[in-house]
This record gives sequence, C-alpha cells and structure tokens, in this order.
Amino acid sequence: MTPIEFRRRVFLAGITAITGSAVLTACGGPAATSSADAGTPVDGGNITFLIQGYDTGWVSSKTSISSYEGNLWGQITDKLVYVDDKGQLSPWVAESWEELNGAKDFVLHLKDGVTFSDGTPLDAAAVVANLNAWAKGAPDRGVSKVGLFPSSNFVSAEAADAKTVKVSFSSPALGFIATLAYHGCILLSPKTLALPVDAQADLAQEIGSGPFVLKSWKQGDSYVLEKRKDYNWGPAALGHTGPARLDTITYKVIKDTSVRTSTVASGQAEVAFNVEPQEIDTLKAQGFTVGTPKYLGFVDGFQVNTQAFPTNDPSVRQAIQHGIDREEIRSTVYTEDWDAATTFIQGNVPEAGDYSSAFAFDADKAKKLLDDAGWKPGPDGFRVKDGKVLEFPLTPNPYVPSTKAEDELIAQQLERIGIKVNLKVVDVAGYAAIQASRPPLFQTSRSFVDVGTVAGVLTSQNNGENWFNLGTSDQKLNDLSTAIASASDRESRKKVAGDLQQYVLEQGYFIPLNQLVQRLYLISPSVKGVQYNGLAYANFYTAWVAK
Amino acid sequence: MSADLNFARLRSAGAASLRTRAGVPPTVLVSFLVVLVVVLWSLFPSLFTGYSPVNGDTGSKLDAPSLQHWFGTDYLGRDQYARVVYGTASSVTSALVAVAIGLLVGSAIGLASGFRGGWLDSTLGRLVDMLLAIPGFLLAVVIVSSLGFQTINAAIATGVSAVAVFARLMRAEVIRVRRSAFVEASYLEGGNRLQALLTHVLPNAYRSVLVLAVLQFGTSILVIASLAFLGYGDPPPSSDWGLLVASGKTYVTAPWLVYAPALVIVATVLSINRISRWLRNSK
Amino acid sequence: MTSGYGRFALARAGQAAVVVLLAYVLTFLVISVLPGDAITNSLRDPQSGLSEADIQRIVQYYGLDQPVLVQLALSLGRFLTGELGFSLQSNLPVAQIVGDALPSTLTLASTALAIAVVFAIGIAYGAHYAPPRWAGVLRSIPSFFLSVPNFVIGLVLIELFAFRLHAFTTTDPNSATATLFAAVTLAIPVSAPLAEVLIASLDHESRQEYALVARSRGLAETQLFARHLVKPSALPSVAMVALIMGELLGGSVITETIFGRDGIGTVVQKAVTGEDQPVLQAVVSLSAVVFVAVNLAADLLTPLLDPRVNVREEANA
Repeated sequence: MTPIEFRRRVFLAGITAITGSAVLTACGGPAATSSADAGTPVDGGNITFLIQGYDTGWVSSKTSISSYEGNLWGQITDKLVYVDDKGQLSPWVAESWEELNGAKDFVLHLKDGVTFSDGTPLDAAAVVANLNAWAKGAPDRGVSKVGLFPSSNFVSAEAADAKTVKVSFSSPALGFIATLAYHGCILLSPKTLALPVDAQADLAQEIGSGPFVLKSWKQGDSYVLEKRKDYNWGPAALGHTGPARLDTITYKVIKDTSVRTSTVASGQAEVAFNVEPQEIDTLKAQGFTVGTPKYLGFVDGFQVNTQAFPTNDPSVRQAIQHGIDREEIRSTVYTEDWDAATTFIQGNVPEAGDYSSAFAFDADKAKKLLDDAGWKPGPDGFRVKDGKVLEFPLTPNPYVPSTKAEDELIAQQLERIGIKVNLKVVDVAGYAAIQASRPPLFQTSRSFVDVGTVAGVLTSQNNGENWFNLGTSDQKLNDLSTAIASASDRESRKKVAGDLQQYVLEQGYFIPLNQLVQRLYLISPSVKGVQYNGLAYANFYTAWVAK
Repeated sequence: MSADLNFARLRSAGAASLRTRAGVPPTVLVSFLVVLVVVLWSLFPSLFTGYSPVNGDTGSKLDAPSLQHWFGTDYLGRDQYARVVYGTASSVTSALVAVAIGLLVGSAIGLASGFRGGWLDSTLGRLVDMLLAIPGFLLAVVIVSSLGFQTINAAIATGVSAVAVFARLMRAEVIRVRRSAFVEASYLEGGNRLQALLTHVLPNAYRSVLVLAVLQFGTSILVIASLAFLGYGDPPPSSDWGLLVASGKTYVTAPWLVYAPALVIVATVLSINRISRWLRNSK
Repeated sequence: MTSGYGRFALARAGQAAVVVLLAYVLTFLVISVLPGDAITNSLRDPQSGLSEADIQRIVQYYGLDQPVLVQLALSLGRFLTGELGFSLQSNLPVAQIVGDALPSTLTLASTALAIAVVFAIGIAYGAHYAPPRWAGVLRSIPSFFLSVPNFVIGLVLIELFAFRLHAFTTTDPNSATATLFAAVTLAIPVSAPLAEVLIASLDHESRQEYALVARSRGLAETQLFARHLVKPSALPSVAMVALIMGELLGGSVITETIFGRDGIGTVVQKAVTGEDQPVLQAVVSLSAVVFVAVNLAADLLTPLLDPRVNVREEANA
C-alpha cells in the first residue's frame, strides 16, 4: 500500500466517520493480533523503532528504569528468569532453581556456555556480582540498588561452583525468583558493574549477553543494534532457538507522538512506541498491528501525598475516589483494549482482588463527603473551607502520553463536584522535579513482578519509597507491608495482599484510574512474531520481517 | 517576528496621513471585517457559540467538521470552534499587552533619548542595542521560562522583546521632527522643550508609531502562538491558538484540529498586516 | 577618509563590545529570577546520576550559595576568558553541548539564508518586471509570508512532503532533502522583510538618473537589473542580513523541534524545560556575540561598498 493512499484513507476515515474497512483492507491484510502470525519466519531484515527519547542516561542500576531505556536493555541483555504476560515464570539463564528452608534459601542452576558479548563467561561468579549490585548497589560509586529487589532481608549470594549460585535471606523472600525476571535485574558483565557511575552511563561500556549488541550510536538520537550470531540461550518460553532473526534494530528518537505515528503509518519505519490510544482503531483498520500489552504492576493512578493540602483531609481523598468517572475516561481516551481497575494493582497479578466498591464512581456520594467535611460551594462553584479553595495542581505522567487527555477529563469531572484541578504539563526531564516536590497527587506508572515487592514503596521502612508520605506513622500500613514482604507461604501472603489493597483504597492512599497499558507498540504489517513479556516489553528476538 | 526589519520603510510612513481616499480597497475592508470578528470573539465569545470550550460531549470525540461542529470536535468531544472562539481572548489580549509594553516602554526610551540627546541618548542607545542583540524569540523564551509558563508571562516576554523596535522608531521620529523648521521656530518663540515635545513631536510621530504598533500586534500574535505551541503558555484546558495547534497535531486522524486554528491565526495576522500596510501607504 | 574610517571603525567596535557585555548581564539577571530550589531540584534528581560530591562541586563552581551579584561576577569573569561552565542537567561542559549542536544549526541557518535570499530576489524581480496583475500579487507575498506561523509551515511541509510525497524521511532529519525543507520553513518568514526592502529600494533606484540613462542606451531590462540595480540597492539589505541572523537563530527553536533536528534550538528547549541556567546563558550570550559581530562587519563594510554613505552620520546612528 502506498503512503499517499494511506493518508487519503486516514483522512476519509476521519472526515466521513465511515469505518472505511471496505476501502482500507484493499491492501495490507487483516490485523494480526496474536504472536502466532501466519507464515514461515525468515532470517534477515532490519527494522527501525521510533521512541520518545533517551534523556535519562544509561546507568543500568537505578531505583526504576525508564520505559524508554527498558526497551533497548531488553534486546542487549538477558535475565535469569523469564516472565510471560500471565505472570508465569520460566527458565532463562537460570536453567532451574530450588526454593529451600521456607523461601529463605535459593539455589540457581545456570545454563552452560552463556557468554557476554565481550567473550567473557556468564558464570556463577558473574551472577553473584549482579545479585550483589541489585541488592546493595555501590553507594561509594554513586550506584544505587534496584528499587524492587528484596534487599532488606538479603544476606548473601555465593558461587557454589561455576554453574551454581546459592542465595540466602534472613527472612522468607517469596518474591525473589519472580524479581529475577524484572527488567531492572538485567545481567551485565562484572567488568561493567565495577565501573564508576559516570562510566556506566556510557552505553558502549554496558556489556550484556543479549541476542543483540550495540553496533553504533549517537547519544540521545539513534542506536543501532545488530544480532549476535553465536547467541543460543533465549528463553524456551519464546519457542525459538539460535540467534535472532532480524539483522539489525535501529532505535531512533522522535519526540513527537504524531510524527512517530505518521512515520510508521507512511511506511518510513516499522515500529513506533507509544502512539495515541485514540488512533488505534483507525490504524488497526489499515492493517497495522497495535500491541497493547499489560504489565504486572500498579494500575494507572495517583499516589496520594497524605501530608499536603488538600489531600491531608481523608474526605477529600475519598471524594476524589468517588468523583472520577473511570468509565467515561475509558470510553473517551482509551479503547476496548483497556480494562477497568478493580484495585490498585493490575488484573494479571495473581493477588489482585476486586475492591472497586471503595472507589466506584458516585458523584452524589463524593459531594456528600465534601459537604459533611465542611467544604461548602463558593461563589464560582469551587468548594471553600476556612477561606481556602479546594484546589490542587496535577501533572500528567509524561511516560504515558495519553494521561494528558485523561487528566484534562479528570479535571472536568472533579470540577463537577466542586474541586479545582490546575493542570501543569511537563516532559520527562521535568517530571522528576515534580515527583521531588511531592504534589498532592502524583501519577504513577510502575511495574513489578512479585506482589511482595510492593512493600518497598508503601512506607519509609527499610528505605522504602514512602509513596504516601506517611513515613512510618500508619502502624497498620507498616504491619501490612512487613507482613507482605516477609510472608513465608503464598496462601497467607495472598490474604495479606487482600487486606493491604482494601486498607490502602479505603484510606484513599492510592487513587486508581484504569488498568495501565504503558507500552503501546504500533507495528507495520510486515513485521511478525513480536512477543511481549510480563513487563509489557516487546521482544524482538523472535521477530522477523515478511518479504 | 520581523517587524523591526521594516524600519526603513516605516520612517517614510511618518509623513503619511490617515486621511482615507474615497475608496477603501476591498481587501482592506475584508481585513477590517476579520479583525472585527476576532475582537468580538474575544469580547463576547458566548454570542458566537453555544458550546462550552471546557466541557464536551465525550461520546462524540474527534468528529469531523459538520454543521453542528464547524471545526469538528477534539479528543474530549469539545467543539473545536468554541475552543478557538474562547481562546481568542487570551491569544489576542496577550498580544495587545505585548504591544502596549513595547509601545509604552519603547516610546519612553525613544522620546527621552531623541529629545535629550547627549549622554542619555548614547546610554539608552546601548541599552536598545543590547535588546536588539539577543534574538527576539530567544529573549522571549528566556524571559517566559524565568517568569513561569503562563500566557500573561509570554505576553510580557514578547512585549520586552519589542521594546527596542519602538524605541528606535520613536527616537528617529523625534530627531526628524526636532530638526524641522517649525520646532526650531517654536524654540525661538520661547517655548520650552517639554512643550515643544508635547505640541509638535508627539502629534507628528504618532502615525508612524501607529503603523508599527499595528504591525507589531500581528507579530505578537505569532510570537505568543509560537510560545504556546512550545507549551510555554497557559496549560490546558485553556485554548490559546498555538496550544490548540500543538495538542491537535497529536491526532493524526483528525487534521481539522490543526488546520482550523492555524487558518484562524493566518487570517487574523494577514488582515492585521494588510491594515498596517494600508495605513502606511494611504497618503 | 582613511583616518576618519579608522576612528569610525574603532568607535563601532567599542560599542559592540559594550553591547555584548550588557546582553550578558541582562540575560544573567533574567535567568537568575528562576527560583533557587529549582536548580537544586534538578541537581538532586536521582536520575541525573550526580553524587553528593558532584552537586557540591557544581554549587561551589557557580557560587550558588552566594548572592546573585557574586554569581554574576564569577560567571561573567569566566565568560570573558571563554569558559562557559557545565550543564546542570548532564554535567557536560556547555562548550561541548553547544559545539555538538552548532554544525546542525549552522547548516540549517545558512541553507535557510540562501533560500531566503533567492526567494527575496525572485519576488522583488517579479514585482518589478512581471505584468502588473502578477506584480501586484507578488508584492503582497511578503505580507502573506509574515502572517504564517513558523510551526504551521513546518507541519504542512512535513505532512505534504514527508508523509504524502515521500520526498524525505522524518527518521533522517539531517539528510540533504530533510534539511532543505526545514530550511524552507525557516526561510519563508525571513525572506519576507528581505523582499520588502529589495522591492522598496528597486522602486527607489529605478527612478534614479543613472538607471534612466542606462535605459536610454538600450540595455535590456534584465541586464539593467543585474548590472546596475542589484549592487547599490542590495546595500540596505547588508545591514538587514545581520538583523536576519537573529531571526534565523530564534526561528530555529521551532523549526528544529518540528523537524526533530538536534541543534541549538533543541538545546535551548531542553535547557528551558530542565531549568539548565548555564546552557541558556551560554546560548543567549553567544548568539548576541554572533549578532553583534555580523552587525559590526556589515557596518564596517557598508562605507567601503558605497561611497555615498557618510561615515560620520553612520557612526552616530
């Protein structure tokens, strides 16, 4: 299909509001929705992957890895364990593992013959070096630990022999194996890990063992990866052995969402990251594939600062919970690929329960909550108490571009119950400063593999991220997060997880919106076999280009 | 953005009078009409549309232009025409603020330096040179980033970057008029300097300054739209014209979201420029 | 003449230096209005990868814990010795950031300038020699060019030539064709005032005696245009080209953003959103230096090119 045709069709489709399918499917073929694409995979081919930006640098060990860097890391590095989109764990560099002593000790058995791209072996010693880096970081060199790694009870990791690693914890660490599949836990050569932080920021020094290696790059602009011909240790779950099929992947920075979309739509590139959800239906009708994988983690929503005005008032928090019409958001800003949230964690996390009554949309209830708390409507409709207007700033999450429209709609909805929301739009660079300023509501997008790791963000215990700015002042929350982090069996932990979800939502500590699709992939019809892991990253190891 | 470059020609406009000829060219009439509409939009937006610019019908998002929605609807189902109409006030008023700042501050500097001459002239002259030395748009960007991303700050920034143009024009006017015979005559008759300034310089200079002010008005609309386009103006749900283009371009399948406000900007500025040209040429 | 010119040149150069210094101070003061904790915020952002020692070093270097005037003195002193400092965002030397971005912007700006001059000459020539109907249309083109925002031109060109006609690809914004279209975006508003001035001076010059004489000798209009008119009437435009330099730099912020080019404009945008004061300060003051230098060169050349220009009067202008 030629690009001119495409554009005309897009235009027609928009102008006449005809679905256009009769015109549109003339070429391009039907939309492929699963990874089981028809046709026989072929080797060779190059793709260009368009992405917003690489501004935050390449220090691999950070409290959280940006979605942008995560995409590239996934191609040049491996992990010990693979997690699929259902949360199912399977072997990768760790061929098998044992959980002993009530989940306090673990033994990892490594695959044979795995090497880093500089030829050094990925053996037990290398894995030990990585485990120590994830658990502790290297504060003296400015390298931080991996935020979600169960480090508070981590005791040691040691190499029993070249292929066996023993890891021990002081208390049960049910989440340990799952965390090994997290995109923060990427295996790098010990040489890389020993570098000071500014040298680690140099991508050329980041030596991994993945199916692709860095060929050339221009910082902040484009990165060319080429396949490693001797790669032969991909996760069995992907159903492919040997080296990757693609010859090269070029990651190219294009900041503007519409340009990324149009560039792929006009055939000038193969994949675009994060397109506008409202365009998906039209693009699918053109024959494009749109991957909307959901990661394991938190839903799209707001961490609430319980100490800041006006969210220090529990009734304001609850009024916001009930004042947001999530169904209107879903049908306006998103598509059917988005699911309603039932709690503050994603539905594919096994421990997710249904606590939606705690935050069901009910404008009358929200108004009553505010009335009862003494927030009276002022002259311009916004509520006032003690001379202060019920208002707060809100910044859309730049990592999820659709939150701009989403938050604009939320501002309208909250205005209806008398709350004034002042939007402030920033880019990725500015968002860190927003987070540091601890606004009343902070829109979050965070993935995790194991529910136990949420303990690391709820309070300030064990250097936790203290999302709700409670410190350790809420004893019940302290107890619940300690319980979930140190549970010794999955059954009792599931119960704790349930109590925790109920408590957090009832207190209005977290305000869920909808289940999050943070990573959207617009893919040209010629690219087949892309697979998504449980963290919603596209894996191009199995991808191929139809001739 | 380029108003300062027309300086040489503006000077000749000083002699021009506002006396209109019997026939005003049709394009000028149309231009006045456009400007009139824009002014009315900014003063009484609710007379021109029944839709709200902030709350839309989310069920009809991204609809194409139709009889109900002249410019279509946006990503939250809001009427784009209503967004444009309600966005006029801040887009146009802020341009007026910018011109006012440039005009008042610039004229004051120009008057002072042209009339006093000497050290004051050369001091102010260097100040004006300094303002000219920093590219106008860059100066506006720096100022607005320092004051904070708001449309009113964008207006102030645009105004400051226009000070130099007005100062230079006013200075030139003052010097021209001061040299002319009748001002010297009024000196001889014993009039004082201030009186001479008020009775002779201002009435003679105001026409060319007016031409520049009108031209600068159009330029300011463009600069402020550009700043809003970059996200340096008021945040959504405000609907400054530049912001409308910027947020509209995200939706590839709804090109009207970009083209409608863009055409409004072009039509407005074109009309203003046409009027300015007519003022300059009508003798 | 020579000594008069020497004095004139010296005075102009002195003025230029003063203007650059003033521009630096103004920029510094404007930027320093920024709230102080914003700097530390961007420094302390965990993603920046800066250690506490790094932060202390930066605070020391810029005197961030001292009064604004001391900071100004520190900063100006360094600027005069050619030192531009370090970015607060990336910790890289500002000179390196600017140096990396400069070639792209220079290519863009010089291409745009060339295109603008060609457009302007074309419009001016047409406005003079085309049949009256068309001449009228051509005369209104500059006004139209001045009315279209840069970002609209850019969006339309990309839509049309990249996505529909495939004349260039957005993934390679530095290719020759992509640069050409970006340059056209930048050139259109720049060509308008150039064309206006050219038309005005052609109108003026063609009424001059020597043009009449030449015409009576039977020279073809085109030859006349080329031989007699272009040189003297281009003179006011030499000063103008200097002014246009500023225009090109300012417009590059928008153009580079839209075309996804990495240049000075992008650097400015990043510095604005990241509140990276040293980078902003450097870019703004360097562009003032360039502007003043080009202006100075133009002023110094003008009397040499056209003896009719009175040196003394020029010096006081």
